[in-house]
Amino acid sequence: MSRPASTWTREAAAVFAKEWRCELRTRYALNTLALFAINTLVVVSAGLGPLGAVRGQSGETLPVLLWLILLFAAAAGLPRSFVHEEETQTATALRLAATPSALFCGKLAYALTLLAGLEALVGPLFLAVMNLEVARPGLLAATLAAGGFGLAAGSTLVAAIIAQARGKGTLFAVLSFPVLLPLLLLSVELTRGAFGGGPPGMALIQLILYDGAVTTAGLMLFPVVWNP
Amino acid sequence: MKRTAFTWLLWLWIAAVIVGAFDYAPLAARFIGQSSRILFFHVPMAWAAFTAFVTAGVYSLRYLFGARQPDGLRDPRHDRAARAAIELGLLFGVLATVTGAIWSRIMWGSWWNWDPRQTSIVMALIFNGAYLALRDAVEDAEKRARLAAAYAALGLAVTPFFFFVVPRITFSLHPEPVINASGRVEMESRMLQVLLASGAGFTALFFWLHRLRTGLLALADRALAAAPRAALAPAAASRAPVASTE
Repeated sequence: MSRPASTWTREAAAVFAKEWRCELRTRYALNTLALFAINTLVVVSAGLGPLGAVRGQSGETLPVLLWLILLFAAAAGLPRSFVHEEETQTATALRLAATPSALFCGKLAYALTLLAGLEALVGPLFLAVMNLEVARPGLLAATLAAGGFGLAAGSTLVAAIIAQARGKGTLFAVLSFPVLLPLLLLSVELTRGAFGGGPPGMALIQLILYDGAVTTAGLMLFPVVWNP
Repeated sequence: MKRTAFTWLLWLWIAAVIVGAFDYAPLAARFIGQSSRILFFHVPMAWAAFTAFVTAGVYSLRYLFGARQPDGLRDPRHDRAARAAIELGLLFGVLATVTGAIWSRIMWGSWWNWDPRQTSIVMALIFNGAYLALRDAVEDAEKRARLAAAYAALGLAVTPFFFFVVPRITFSLHPEPVINASGRVEMESRMLQVLLASGAGFTALFFWLHRLRTGLLALADRALAAAPRAALAPAAASRAPVASTE
């Protein structure tokens, strides 16, 4: 059953607005993501010493830590969006109110804005705490944007899957890690390039291709995950 | 009859590969001792694990988007086939990892080096494990099959990135693949014959085991469907004498 594009857009926008309205009422994901990321950043920074990692090695090791902080913060907060629907038994109403693809895009847009906020908070803090200088700020911004998009797209589909299973919290990490690993490897490589001034090469294109593949798979698979 | 003949042919073929690997193929240059002989088993095991992964993805797509049964439900045979392929992928993946680690210890001096192909096979193993963990976390059979199939299809979508991205990022100590970037086959002819024969044998072995496992899962499903009736029957029988004594 096809609907006019304007209806589809309205549905997606309504889901997006609903997500933020619910979020601002409880602030669960906002608090979880921000506090988890800051706590982890403090632990990492304290673990590496007050002056950051050893000069000369920091460009190699710190991008890994930055992306681990982002991954685990996302894993702590993002699944909530779908788990909440199952727990409060609003999933059926949502099934009736919006087409699956509009729902997926609305939820994806919500996850994207949440992650963009997280990156805007963690990125500058990370650079300041670790005494890092960015040789290519444009590349870092592009990496955070493309990496964040892939992280949101992969997490949204996996969150929809685990919301219907038992042991949701641990299962999300178990299921999402193998799917998100290529994204992490590419993002780490690009972030290294941004810190050290190396050229992005094929990695940025591959990261964008990964985003395209995961989003297409998400749009294709979400209807069968969501509807019995 | 045909199936029995195929089984016997398969065992004979595998036996011939074993003999060929130890007696017919020469030792590879620059390999320590007899270590190159493990290649004839390690590479086909990794290949079988990859075949299993793709088979699971294809059957999962067929389960989700293929023709439905007359009653409108999705075909559970495809789900069983996908699950069987994942289980066998785990088996062949573990065997490939262990044989690779043994070879790595002999040639590189350590069991594990995070070589790109080691990374890829470990990720495939974790993916297969995650697939089975997901199945265990869902009680309803239809929902379990649907969610697991969607996850396997998602895995299929990101697989190319493991093959193209991981080897490019990390430095590899691994010997050159048989067909390398220049497109040439660089291997002694008898070694290549045994390797190809072993590859064909392991592929056939995978599909033979897959057929067996799928059949076994179908039997288990049938037994489970009949179980409530069987479970209720003795309970009803044991209640009868209790009622008579009261």
